[in-house]
Amino acid sequence: MKYIITILLFFSFHTIGRESGQTEITTDDGIEVFNQEKYYLLKTNVKIISDEYVLNADLVKAYFLKDLYDITRIFSDGNVTLNSSKGIKASGEKIDFDIINEDLQIFGKNSLFINNELKMTSDKEIKINNTTGNFMINGPNSRLKTNKIDITGYLIKGKFTQLENDNEVELLNVEDETQINIKTETLDMYARRAEYDKQNNIIELFDNVKILRDNESISGNYAKINTLTESYKVTSKESGKVKALLDRKDE
Amino acid sequence: MNNFLKINKKTLLILLIFLTAIFLSTIFFNKISTNVTKENFLSIDPKFDIINPSFTINNEKEKISVTANKGNFLNNNKILLKNNVFFQSSSFTIFSDEVTFDKKNQTAISKSNSKFKSEGTEIISEGFSISENGDIILFNGKTSLILIK
Repeated sequence: MKYIITILLFFSFHTIGRESGQTEITTDDGIEVFNQEKYYLLKTNVKIISDEYVLNADLVKAYFLKDLYDITRIFSDGNVTLNSSKGIKASGEKIDFDIINEDLQIFGKNSLFINNELKMTSDKEIKINNTTGNFMINGPNSRLKTNKIDITGYLIKGKFTQLENDNEVELLNVEDETQINIKTETLDMYARRAEYDKQNNIIELFDNVKILRDNESISGNYAKINTLTESYKVTSKESGKVKALLDRKDE
Repeated sequence: MNNFLKINKKTLLILLIFLTAIFLSTIFFNKISTNVTKENFLSIDPKFDIINPSFTINNEKEKISVTANKGNFLNNNKILLKNNVFFQSSSFTIFSDEVTFDKKNQTAISKSNSKFKSEGTEIISEGFSISENGDIILFNGKTSLILIK
């Protein structure tokens, strides 16, 4: 009888498995639950699998509201990867995910965020709010890339809107002490700072401006580009001179 | 003619089989009854100091009751609880087979497979420990947690 109970107990301990709507978490080194502080620590080789996402990390701190299942925020540390069923992929040294506010922050070298065709990379931090669409890419090698635009700079801030499966950049502010770069299908733009507003279809470039299109190159201190007509105006505040280089073939 | 001579051989055989069956079943049930008595006798095991021990861990928010089938005093404060060890509070239960309970510090440590259940949560681990009057629960080793929405 004792053996039967032991066998039944063994199976009851090991037949646990995730069903639809459930979240399964496994760890190699246990869970520490802090009831007063309302969080629990998941230690070593943590895997979280739910219908919406799969998360892997070395260490996870999960904050809950009332009970353990009621997770409000997940802070993951060490080799973090996050894949969602909606096409979101994120990875970095640390990921802080506020479930209630849909706020995602990725920290560390080789930080990566992919939402369908939208790709963000940085060696410091990436912040995205899925509700508002606000984002910030900060640090060395920061880059934002979509099918239509490729942006590099130390600080890239903005807002995107989601149109079906397409993420479109609505507002953009790019800064870099040395140089930023914005590439579209037809234009290759350089400056120290850039602003873009989709409402009036204008890109403004500030300081050390250089615009390349086909075989022409125009430099100045300020540029205003209409993204619809692809026409632009370049001015130079200091000397009043604008330098334009045109390839002979196009003359 | 003698009445006994009227009994059919076949009927006699069936009767004999029936009586044998009753005899064997009586022996069998007697044996089971003896075993049950023996088991009951063994349950009062001299190797254990306490049968059906029961304790309580108190904290500001809740009371955790601790029960088991058997227990052994390790020292004045520590008791090794064995077989069907249950920790039950208003918000969770933990089941294990062997737990060391410290009465003085109100702590519990287990290195046996343990199962934790609370609303929407099930945790299976290779052991656990309860400290800070139940405020901190640590599940040891390879651990699996299922959260139900």
